[in-house]
Amino acid sequence: MSYLVCVLLFRLMVGSVGVASNPSPYFAAMGLVMESGVGCGVLICFGGSFLPLVFFLIYLGGMMVVFAFSAALSAEPYPYGWGNRSVKMYVAAYVLGVGCAWKVLLGKWSGFWGGILDESGELLVLRGGMMGVAAMHDVGGWMLVLGGLGLLLTLFVVLELVRGVSRGGLRTV
Amino acid sequence: MTPIQMTFSTMFLLGLMGLTFHRTHLLSALLCLETLMLSLFLATSLWALQLSTINIACVPMLLLAFSACEASSGLALVVATAGTHGSDHMQNLNLLQC
Repeated sequence: MSYLVCVLLFRLMVGSVGVASNPSPYFAAMGLVMESGVGCGVLICFGGSFLPLVFFLIYLGGMMVVFAFSAALSAEPYPYGWGNRSVKMYVAAYVLGVGCAWKVLLGKWSGFWGGILDESGELLVLRGGMMGVAAMHDVGGWMLVLGGLGLLLTLFVVLELVRGVSRGGLRTV
Repeated sequence: MTPIQMTFSTMFLLGLMGLTFHRTHLLSALLCLETLMLSLFLATSLWALQLSTINIACVPMLLLAFSACEASSGLALVVATAGTHGSDHMQNLNLLQC
């Protein structure tokens, strides 16, 4: 279990370096998809059940899908992968930086790498993450309304931004 | 520092550096922004799970909702840029350059 958490954390780092090192958006989106899947794995290892599920559905299944097909807007004949020279320089710099930081700050870590998955040892119905989100619907109702209104506002913002014909963000169409 | 804390802190810093430095496409800057959001979601979720403060589990959900707002606005800007300039290259966004 500790080893699984160690591997997942390493893959999170690899994904972050892969996205931050300026490849073409095709490959950066792929790195982010892997990163979000692995992030869900980390949350599961630490005992969450509802939060990683929500993350998988909304982030990976909603937002990443939209980013993936929006990557068609940045199409180019020879996309830069991670083998390209300029991208490799960024990767080397970030790996060096992250390696030095980890060595300095975490070099003496001899403690427990893993997470606490479950403390009771039996099947539970009401788990922690689920109860917290239920509290959002209960006492945090106004915040939910505010979030919904914000999302509605964003819908109109997006529609106005992509409206053409001399209004909005598109000038020539 | 614990390994998990080090991980999401480093992810945040890497995403921030990726957003700040020069890049070719606007969309890859938005993807670095999504890395930032991912690290914040992990951090707040692990806060709720590890410290057993259950009510904080609302924070990642609301963070996800507002991050969806921001991602969709960014993508609308990418579409507008592609419609105006033909591509989303950052070097085309130079109207204010002297």
